[in-house]
Amino acid sequence: DDLETAPLLELSLEELLASDPNAVEGLVSRLYASFALTGPSGPGSSDIVSPDAGEGAFLRAIINLQDFTADGMKNRWGDDGLDQLTTTSNWDRNNKFFRLFYDRAYFTIPQCNNFLQVLQTADFPDEENIVAETRFLRALAYYNIIDVFGKGVLATDENFGQSELLPEASRQELFDYVESELLAIEPVIRTTSNYGRANRYVVDMLLTKLYLNAEIYTGTPRWDDAAIYVNKVINEGGYTLDNNFVRLFSADNDASPEIIFPLIAEPLTSQSFGNTTYLVNGNLSADTMPLSQFGAAQGWTGHRATEAWYGLFGNSANALAASNDVRASLFWTDGHQFTMTDYRTWTDGYPSIKYRNTFSDGSGNPLDFSPTDFPFYRLADAYLIYAELALRGAANTTMSQALNYVNQVRTRSFADPIGMSELTLDFIIDERGRELNLEGHRRSDLIRFNMFTGGNYIWPWKGGTANGNAIPESYKLFPIPVTAIQANPNLTQNPGF
Amino acid sequence: TVTDGSSSAPLPGVNVLIKGTTTGTNTDFDGKYTINANTGDVLVFSYVGFVTKEITVEGSNTIDVVLAEDAAQLDEIVIIGYGSTTVKDATGSVDVVTEKDFNRGAIVSTDQLLNGKAAGVRITNNGGSPDSAPNIRIRGGSSLNAQNNPLIVIDGVPIGNDNPAGVSNPLTLVNPNDVESFSILKDASATAIYGSRASNGVIIITTKKGTSGKPKFNYSTDYTVSSAGDGLDVMNGEEYTQFIQQFHPNRAGQLGVPAGSVNANQSISQTLNGRDIYNTDWRDAILRTANSFNHNFSARASLFKEIPFRASVGLSRAEGVVINDNYERVTLSAKLTPTLLNDNLKIDFNAKTIFAFKNAVDAGGAIGEALSFDPTKPIYDFSSDNRFGGYYLTTFDDGNFRRIIQSNPLARLEQRERPENVRRFLGNVEFDYKMPFLPELNAVVNFGLDASDANISEIFTDNAFETYRFNANNSDINSNFVFNPGVNFEENQRITNTTFDAYLKYAKFYDSGFIDSFDVQTGYAYQNFKNDGNQRRFQYNLVTGVREPFVNPANPNNRYLNVLNLQSYFVRGNLSLGDRYLLTASFRADGSSLFTEDNRWGYFPAAALAWQIHKESFLEGSNFIQNLKLRLSWGETGQQDITGSVGFYPSIPLFLTGDANSQYLPNSSLYSAQPFNPDLTWEKSTTYNVGLDFSFFKNNLLSGSFDIYKRNTVDLLATTPVPPGQALTNAFIDNVGETESEGFELNLNIVPISTDNFNFSLNTNLSYNKTEVTDLNGLTEINAGGSLRGTGGDLFRHAVGQQAGSAFVFKQLYDQAGNPIPNAFVDRNGDNVITDDDRYFKQIAPNWTFGFGLNFDYKKWDLSSSFRGQIGGNVYNFAQLNYGFTESAVFSSQNNLTNVLNFFDGSANPTINNVNGNVQFSDYYLEDASFLRCDNIALGYSFDNILKDGTVRVYGAVTNPFIITDYSGQDPENFGGIDRNFYPRPTAYTLGLNFNF
Repeated sequence: DDLETAPLLELSLEELLASDPNAVEGLVSRLYASFALTGPSGPGSSDIVSPDAGEGAFLRAIINLQDFTADGMKNRWGDDGLDQLTTTSNWDRNNKFFRLFYDRAYFTIPQCNNFLQVLQTADFPDEENIVAETRFLRALAYYNIIDVFGKGVLATDENFGQSELLPEASRQELFDYVESELLAIEPVIRTTSNYGRANRYVVDMLLTKLYLNAEIYTGTPRWDDAAIYVNKVINEGGYTLDNNFVRLFSADNDASPEIIFPLIAEPLTSQSFGNTTYLVNGNLSADTMPLSQFGAAQGWTGHRATEAWYGLFGNSANALAASNDVRASLFWTDGHQFTMTDYRTWTDGYPSIKYRNTFSDGSGNPLDFSPTDFPFYRLADAYLIYAELALRGAANTTMSQALNYVNQVRTRSFADPIGMSELTLDFIIDERGRELNLEGHRRSDLIRFNMFTGGNYIWPWKGGTANGNAIPESYKLFPIPVTAIQANPNLTQNPGF
Repeated sequence: TVTDGSSSAPLPGVNVLIKGTTTGTNTDFDGKYTINANTGDVLVFSYVGFVTKEITVEGSNTIDVVLAEDAAQLDEIVIIGYGSTTVKDATGSVDVVTEKDFNRGAIVSTDQLLNGKAAGVRITNNGGSPDSAPNIRIRGGSSLNAQNNPLIVIDGVPIGNDNPAGVSNPLTLVNPNDVESFSILKDASATAIYGSRASNGVIIITTKKGTSGKPKFNYSTDYTVSSAGDGLDVMNGEEYTQFIQQFHPNRAGQLGVPAGSVNANQSISQTLNGRDIYNTDWRDAILRTANSFNHNFSARASLFKEIPFRASVGLSRAEGVVINDNYERVTLSAKLTPTLLNDNLKIDFNAKTIFAFKNAVDAGGAIGEALSFDPTKPIYDFSSDNRFGGYYLTTFDDGNFRRIIQSNPLARLEQRERPENVRRFLGNVEFDYKMPFLPELNAVVNFGLDASDANISEIFTDNAFETYRFNANNSDINSNFVFNPGVNFEENQRITNTTFDAYLKYAKFYDSGFIDSFDVQTGYAYQNFKNDGNQRRFQYNLVTGVREPFVNPANPNNRYLNVLNLQSYFVRGNLSLGDRYLLTASFRADGSSLFTEDNRWGYFPAAALAWQIHKESFLEGSNFIQNLKLRLSWGETGQQDITGSVGFYPSIPLFLTGDANSQYLPNSSLYSAQPFNPDLTWEKSTTYNVGLDFSFFKNNLLSGSFDIYKRNTVDLLATTPVPPGQALTNAFIDNVGETESEGFELNLNIVPISTDNFNFSLNTNLSYNKTEVTDLNGLTEINAGGSLRGTGGDLFRHAVGQQAGSAFVFKQLYDQAGNPIPNAFVDRNGDNVITDDDRYFKQIAPNWTFGFGLNFDYKKWDLSSSFRGQIGGNVYNFAQLNYGFTESAVFSSQNNLTNVLNFFDGSANPTINNVNGNVQFSDYYLEDASFLRCDNIALGYSFDNILKDGTVRVYGAVTNPFIITDYSGQDPENFGGIDRNFYPRPTAYTLGLNFNF
């Protein structure tokens, strides 16, 4: 019957499994890729329907929502809605950047659910571990929903395929689900994995993050639980600090002993406008910077750090230049001004040159797409979390170990070690900024330290003014995209939007 | 001799009858006739399409008669799909446009013949390139993400929606000279018989037929010169120098080039602070006066005195006004219409072969660059250190490598060739067999084939800047580069569309009784569209910069194969009652391969009634009303073509292999589960139509038709957000929502003067259409594209209560002097913040379109002109946004200047210094797109004594001589609604010769 047309290139599940003995790996690859790539057909393709393919990658969305809305990074493009993020003002439910994050998370989740259903169709080699990895990736997507939007729907492999609209799931319900999922797979998933894939310590790291922010998510602090899992990462994971900070963000970071979970980028085989390419090219501009020094062929004249970040190393251009901290040297200052008088002016503020396409020895050719993997989780983060938990009085932590870890992080970058009296929560949030800015953590950290909303901490362009302004409490969550509510009327808007 | 009043050509086959008797004869091929008649007898001359004439025989033995064409063309054949009818008997809304109404002048593609000639048909081409795509909308189009183009049927072959690779305009693949007529089916009762693909109307193109008489030949040739006229008012070198000195004084050092550094072979306009300032008109540099010609030869004959035959050969060579934009086409066609087996078997055989060649230049890129390239820079640089083959490019050393900052638009056109070759065969053979045992019954079988073979390659010359790459093996900035001349891309593609239909038709006529006649057709139709191709792609080596093949292991040839299959069963009946009532009913079942088995079939009924009022006794003998017919129709049609948004397999679960550049985990191939929607089914439109055909006064002084319609489309196929987490993506095509269209059309033909020597006629059409989205299944709006500056900002929405694809904009605030205040908008909801909630909708597509043509004939002279326009609708002046803020001169790079609109003479407003934030979504940039365009004016003279037994017509025409509009940008006629780097529609002067012998 000619009405039953069949494609040449796309495969049915049966055809796929029959044609490639390694098909299951390829399906897993797709789920991981959701965090770095925008689509399966080149960097111009998009898994999710959006006006611009490049904007739809998970990592790009995380950077947009976690770093541009916070103190340390600003973008000048003023693309439709991006100004709202960068100035934390005028947020509205139509902003496409909120929608892109939401849609990417709710793309990843049903993809995982679909794959879990596929895995039930037959027995596959290594199935138990693959199921655990898939549940991890789904939990990671849900974690981001919890953190950013505070509620959603609970789509699982059990209800996947039903046409009835799902009910709204509260932050607590999503939290409980993610916790139970992670606790279920933690003992199952292997302790070692091939590069780029999740193992037990990646799961532990996500559990740590979940418990660390539990008070924000559920109202109940879980510091002791966070300490249990961060200790597992530190003590059992076998990770060590990289003695070269710059390597963590260079083309050879796949060899770094510090990275717990990377998002892979390759200049030819794994191209995306939403992986580290967004971080490298976005911070470069041929106007003021030699692109090839950073192994880049393009500069997008977009992102710059603010003095809320580099000011942590010194409160003037001269003081910054005088710092012996390696991390203080990762800003491009030539032709740029210390103070961001106008976030739209490229030369206001210093571009971050933390990420680059070159190898850590400086070699490498100009590339259109970055070869540098994104350090999604790394040991220094775990060390600083440990110190924070110790300061918050978590069981199974000691202040002396906390000081030790903090000073290991600092001295690795040739920063002066601190004394016990200096180790305070205020110091920790600053150190987290120095160490981890532009790695997708900052907004959550500021909220946990109650520095994000209100007026007790002000940064450049907060609330839409150059010197900064207070922003409402409701900005601890983003508005639920209007498209989501319209497509599922069971969903409700967050307060204030 | 009987001759045609308009062409003076002899008319063969004219019926000559002595009034009141059955004595009669026909004219022969030369229009001659012989009849035995007595003085005082009245001879009646009648011929299809002409006004019947009565002449009383007086003394003379020779009576020459000139028949005038019947303006109302009541007996004109209308092809309506699976049969034909006449205008007189048509029950649906059908427009017929024949050769005499065609546009004249510089015609490259068939759609140009029709533009502006039929009410409710809006044809907007994408610009002035010879192969630019037409966007054809009949009654506005009702779909959101499904196909909105009408179905085009050429000699019985419905053509596919996929153009052959490299062909922008599928209608360039029919020689306009072969076209005899267009039938435009608009309402559902007319289109329903075409079912699945007809919900946006049908255009049936019929080519010219052979003859049963003596051989006739036609040779026509024309030559056209075209030029682009004025463009946007960007600054010249002197104005620009003044502008930079005034607005960006710290950048004045970047004007021009260092003195003496460039050998440009172009005069320097001034030297300023050690810089040579040139005065380059970049638009002028990339445009040319284009020359085009057509040759067409056709022969009509009767092969073996049995088989009417027509063959034609055409050769066209058309130049675009953008340099190197060349188009060539050779067409061959043959048509045989033999009648065999005692006239019981009629065969209609058509074959058309087309060879088209195009050099596809990047016209849009070059036009954009020509607007923005700093006018103080020279075109060429022949100095020895120039790397780019003598073209001046602005470059910048980034430390290790000399980068290009601004590329030369002329180099873009001259350093690349992109030959696109298409061979296409379009043919069909139809057998119509009258059953000898039951003469009322015919069996018709039609086979059609539309096959094309296209290949494209893209080839760069030596030193082409687009292939300029960094060679990392070399650290010397003076030589660490490499050029990659040669093939950069290749594509081969084969389209094979097969159609087959078979039906029985039964027709019965009654001599007496209330029923005059009835006929029934029932049958089956099959359409299969197959598009099979492969590509050669390349990438540049990351180290050496050398171009190398880009190989995707999962699909090494980058092959693609798309198949769409449609099958249908149909039945239609016509009933004629009491010599005045005509009834039509049809029913069609359509299956599409795009849907799953459960949702595959759609059922589409239609019915119509026509009342020939003028035949009622109370109007009989009226001198005023010649024809008055009321038509009522209702019908449903379907739409399934969503391949443009979701491909060919949207209903079944499939896995896609990732491209070679979209892999992730090492050592495995990436497989992605594709979204699908098993519930997809037909989009359905219901159309109600009331029409009136009329002809008033003697000689059809005033005739025309008026149609009013309402169309409701439900189960709209649209890409809409899915419930989060419940599908494999965030938005997918689904049957959601409704649109509602209403409108009317008026065709009016006036023949105020009709004498032997002088004829004057006016034909006009006016139409109103409004298509509004009425429901989106709970959504208030969905994105409809239209990106402006930056990434991801779309202008258009399909929103409930609005016309589809409306612009979603802020209301601009102005200061007291009337200047827009950047980023200041009306707080429409009064909540003291400007958010998306303050935006509103402005329509893009116009509601009113019109066209009119004037024809004068005086003896051997003929003069015709065509005008066309729209009232309302808006166009976004993107050039005003992009080049109309003072910072735009220094925006793109710190090391480079770009040209801007002229801020000194009001072409742009200097109060707009940047366009950050929401400036681009201001209604300031939307302008009224109303216009009146003169499409063409043609003047001809016919000689009938130069050739023996033949005529020669000489004509001159000017195409697109002027347009009247308030729009401040280049051209308000813009289908997409955003006026970007628009390919200018040239003004063309044509001189042509036409020989009939």
